[in-house]
Amino acid sequence: MEKSKSTNGTQVLAASRAQDRVDRLDPYGFERSVDFDYASYEELMSEYLVVLTRRSIKWSKLLKGKGKVQKNVKLKRYVRKGIPNEHRALVWMAASGAQDQLEKNPGYYQSMLEAQHDPKLVETIRTDLHRTFPDNVHFRKTSNPCLQKALYNVLLAYGHHNPAVGYCQGMNFIAGYLLIITKDEEKSFWLMDALLGKILPDYYTPAMLGLKADQEVLGELVKVKTPRVWQVMSDHNVMWTLVVSRWFICLYIDILPVETVLRIWDCLFYEGSKILFRVALTVIHHNQALIEKAQSLPDVCQAFKEIVRGPLVDECHTFMQKIFSEPGSLSKATLTKLRTTCRARIVAEES
Amino acid sequence: MSRKKGLRGKTASSSSPSKDSPAGKSTGKTVRGSPGIVQMNGVVHPSRPPISNSSEFYDISFKVMLVGDSGVGKTCLLVRFKDGAFLAGSFISTVGIDFRNKVMNIDGVKVKLQIWDTAGQERFRSVTHAYYRDAHALLLLYDVTNKSSFDNIQSWLTEIHEYAQQDVVLMLLGNKADSAHDRVVKREDGERLAKEFGVPFMETSARSGLNVELAFTAVAKELKHRSTKDPSEKFKLQEYVSKEVKVAGCCRS
Repeated sequence: MEKSKSTNGTQVLAASRAQDRVDRLDPYGFERSVDFDYASYEELMSEYLVVLTRRSIKWSKLLKGKGKVQKNVKLKRYVRKGIPNEHRALVWMAASGAQDQLEKNPGYYQSMLEAQHDPKLVETIRTDLHRTFPDNVHFRKTSNPCLQKALYNVLLAYGHHNPAVGYCQGMNFIAGYLLIITKDEEKSFWLMDALLGKILPDYYTPAMLGLKADQEVLGELVKVKTPRVWQVMSDHNVMWTLVVSRWFICLYIDILPVETVLRIWDCLFYEGSKILFRVALTVIHHNQALIEKAQSLPDVCQAFKEIVRGPLVDECHTFMQKIFSEPGSLSKATLTKLRTTCRARIVAEES
Repeated sequence: MSRKKGLRGKTASSSSPSKDSPAGKSTGKTVRGSPGIVQMNGVVHPSRPPISNSSEFYDISFKVMLVGDSGVGKTCLLVRFKDGAFLAGSFISTVGIDFRNKVMNIDGVKVKLQIWDTAGQERFRSVTHAYYRDAHALLLLYDVTNKSSFDNIQSWLTEIHEYAQQDVVLMLLGNKADSAHDRVVKREDGERLAKEFGVPFMETSARSGLNVELAFTAVAKELKHRSTKDPSEKFKLQEYVSKEVKVAGCCRS
């Protein structure tokens, strides 16, 4: 008792010191939550900063004197190890093809903004403006510049540009992240276009068919790779949409820590949507034992909330290594085939 | 959605043992403590018993769903009921579906409400209506400051009739009743619509707390009454609601 008390005291002290040293805001403007573990964060960052510095030097060399980023094996390897934040916008734009689109279509973004506003679209977007990252200083009405206006513009322009999608909840968070990283509306717009138009299946259209299919695809993959978890899901009648729809729709925003999400997005822009499955499979596989303990549907839901936090996902650098090794092979052909069958099944069920 | 930026935020609930509920009438199993119990700064307190709270034990359990247009205040209503708090401007839009538990003591019986919060945007309905059929009760919300959320109630009712169980307990709630200046839907309009469809109605405010407890209590009482079928007690949901309801901007108690 006495001993545990003193250990406790020391830990509390260490934590409070770390709290004095670590900024209350993260580098992206998010307030740290009340239960933020400052001591662990400091410990983690002391290691990660070494990685970041090393990567930053390597990237500077790679990009030195080059006006354009070329996709090749070396760049892919570099991307998997993380793009330094100062180069993120540049590499995302180049790797996704957004830069080409921007250059081919000068003034297009502005023209979409100036188009006749669809009042229904405007209203739906407005409903979510103050509900997008209220814990981020850049999205406060009082901040200058306030990203809420930029967010509104990007979503409105995108809604006009792609009327079949218009606006779907979740896009607000994606556009928000893009603005935080690029600090530029037009770039965010074209990155949004690359994501929704090219990289992701149709997650955000009114029928959400791509989303529904990918949820089932994940189920099929889990069935093969982590069959005991699949069994738990089936025993308790848990539909995949219940536990993973947000993972796909929000591209892990607000599910995983900010830094981890950005590392995932580095690969998402370079390699495509397959990465979303690698992340899900790793998290599920790694927490198999915890999920198996679930005795009921609410238990399963709770387990899926717990598995997206903790050291596994906090240590983003090792996590990104794990996602390429732990789930094993996942070929483009497998994914394409599964997507086709799942999609057909859903269409048949819905008609 | 709760923010997940905490590094190594250690959840303490995973180790708490499941105890069978005392009466174990319905689904029987006891669920771990409410979501999101986190020990501060990840410090473990060895002298403390495993985290437990009243929500660990219950006699009967029911599923309640919150539905209605985007932005009418479903999550706020739930958080007000669950935690007694209104955190203005700190909510983010609900994507998909989520749930929270709350155990209420209804005339000596511990009734657990498993409350499902859903995304309001129309395209999400095809994802969420699969859950309607398991719901014992539905709270259908509109926003008294938003006419279109009120006009859409009809289409919500159609959706409910199509997918929910026939005997589902249904209640219509006009939320944000504290916003006197921005109000565009009169209380009488809500009452008229509710009467037309034969559902109980009240105005609520997640901000002030008006009728929030009552809405859930009324539902819990009705569900408990239905499941126990005690002939000695008589409970009429409509009567209970009209007796207990408070009116916005009025100090009648």
